[in-house]
Amino acid sequence: MALLEIRDLRKRYGTVEALQGLSLDVERGEFFGLLGPNGAGKSTTINILLGLIIADGGSIRIFDHDFTANHVAIRRRMNVAAAFTSMNGVLTVWENLMVYGRIYGVKQLPRKIDELLERFEITDLAKRRLQHLSSGQHTRVTLCKGFLNDPELLLLDECTLGLDPDIAEKTRRALQAVQQERKTTILFTSHNMNEVEELCGRIAFLSQGEILRVDTAAHIKRLIPHQVVEVTFQAGSDLTPIRQLNGISRIERNGDHALRFVLDDPTHQLDPLLRHLTQSGNPIVDIHVSRPTLEDVFIKVARGEL
Amino acid sequence: MRFVNSQDYGFSTMAIWGLVYKFTCLCYRSLDRIFDIVYWPVISLLLWGFTSMFIASTSSFSGVMEFFLGGAVLWSLFWRAQTDVGTFILEDFWSRNVYNLFASPVTSIELFVAIGLIGLIRCILSFLFLTFLAWGLYAFNIMDIGGTAIAVFTSVLLLFGWVIGILIAALIFRYGLRIQILAWSVGFIIQPFSCVFYPLDSMPGWVQGIAITLPSTHVFEGLRYAIATGELAWQPLLLSFGLTAVLFILSIAYFQYALYQAKKLGLLTRFEMA
Repeated sequence: MALLEIRDLRKRYGTVEALQGLSLDVERGEFFGLLGPNGAGKSTTINILLGLIIADGGSIRIFDHDFTANHVAIRRRMNVAAAFTSMNGVLTVWENLMVYGRIYGVKQLPRKIDELLERFEITDLAKRRLQHLSSGQHTRVTLCKGFLNDPELLLLDECTLGLDPDIAEKTRRALQAVQQERKTTILFTSHNMNEVEELCGRIAFLSQGEILRVDTAAHIKRLIPHQVVEVTFQAGSDLTPIRQLNGISRIERNGDHALRFVLDDPTHQLDPLLRHLTQSGNPIVDIHVSRPTLEDVFIKVARGEL
Repeated sequence: MRFVNSQDYGFSTMAIWGLVYKFTCLCYRSLDRIFDIVYWPVISLLLWGFTSMFIASTSSFSGVMEFFLGGAVLWSLFWRAQTDVGTFILEDFWSRNVYNLFASPVTSIELFVAIGLIGLIRCILSFLFLTFLAWGLYAFNIMDIGGTAIAVFTSVLLLFGWVIGILIAALIFRYGLRIQILAWSVGFIIQPFSCVFYPLDSMPGWVQGIAITLPSTHVFEGLRYAIATGELAWQPLLLSFGLTAVLFILSIAYFQYALYQAKKLGLLTRFEMA
């Protein structure tokens, strides 16, 4: 039984179909990514799961209960950390966490807050007003709030936005550690593809309110089958015979002494290509094989090419 | 389509305590939240105190001080209750906290109980301050009209203030911050029709038609009657209390409906971006 079951979720704003029958299962303990360009329906999905938006149709079951009929009880067992939101700016970090801890009914609240502040390395900010924090510090406070009630389901919406690379890395480590310790199910959205690939076991790729594919990052990257091999030859090499190689999808000149080979079927094309290159007699100075990244898939989806 | 279910009427004392704690922190960490407990009520008391002193010195109208100052002190209760609901709701909009708050398991009932509790404390503080000030400056003691009268008048005015505050909060959820001015201005629209400083029968017919539907009018009519006779006009007061209780239930229902509409239209998440 999946922890989160979404069936045929629909939402329309005027003439815009934000969600067109989205269905999704997320298993207990999964770190699950929601990816897609702006307007794909990620935030609408998350906001419906939080009860902030009411869907036009479809059903949601969380913890094996119908969400609409049990939304208050279900929300006690979940939480959210979204980078673009805030808490009360005039209150201190500690006071804000006390407020939300009580709302979520957290036991031994002061001890819990201390533990989370330490985990996200912001113990020294406890007595600072939220309005006086940097965006990176603010993001970490938001994450503390997200973990306050040891949620069984945590929704993270762009939660590492605005963090410098060092803090972002520490935050990812902390997220992974907490998730593994508590077996928290996490639904994660980000525009940082490396982050999604690093953290998420499975990813749902959304486009125009529909799920394009649900799979691991490795499998999703195969939506773009080709690889690109860029070869730089020694100056003065005769590239004409190489350019006449058969069986390669596309060969392009890349500067005076370099060629780009686009392989649509790398499994069967790479080996013959490399043999042909070595047999051509032209000394190779550099060779680089580019595999498609999650970002390549993202860009193609955003441009409607996939 | 149903826009609420039984869960929306549930409440947890710990969540209410969390919200009361938040509003308390907002009060002591924000100078204007402390200042507004006394600022406008004191201005009003000074204005009507000096006006009544002038009238008393130039006419034979007896009891003018009691009429005006009693009205000013009691009106401050309505005004305090009404603006507190609006401003405590607005605080969450201003701090972009609406998203986190409504994504949490908090219910509207918990929210309003917490606002009611903190609002009650602020009203009591404001009322006590004005009572002492009126006694110190003008030797007017509102407690002379009796504990029962005070209890009846204040409960109707507080409840009616919350009704108006909840209706304004509902409109803010539905139409956003562009109508936030209502949180402070609606009291000024209701005041002339509530006959705070003049009797109902001195008003033109069309004003009387509006005034008689407002629970606050019956309180101020009752206040003048109590000052003049030393007795309470129970029937209109009980009617106005009943009317206020019905309006209170309707205002909660309207708030739930406005919140439902805001969620249907996706407005709660857009407020964060505003």
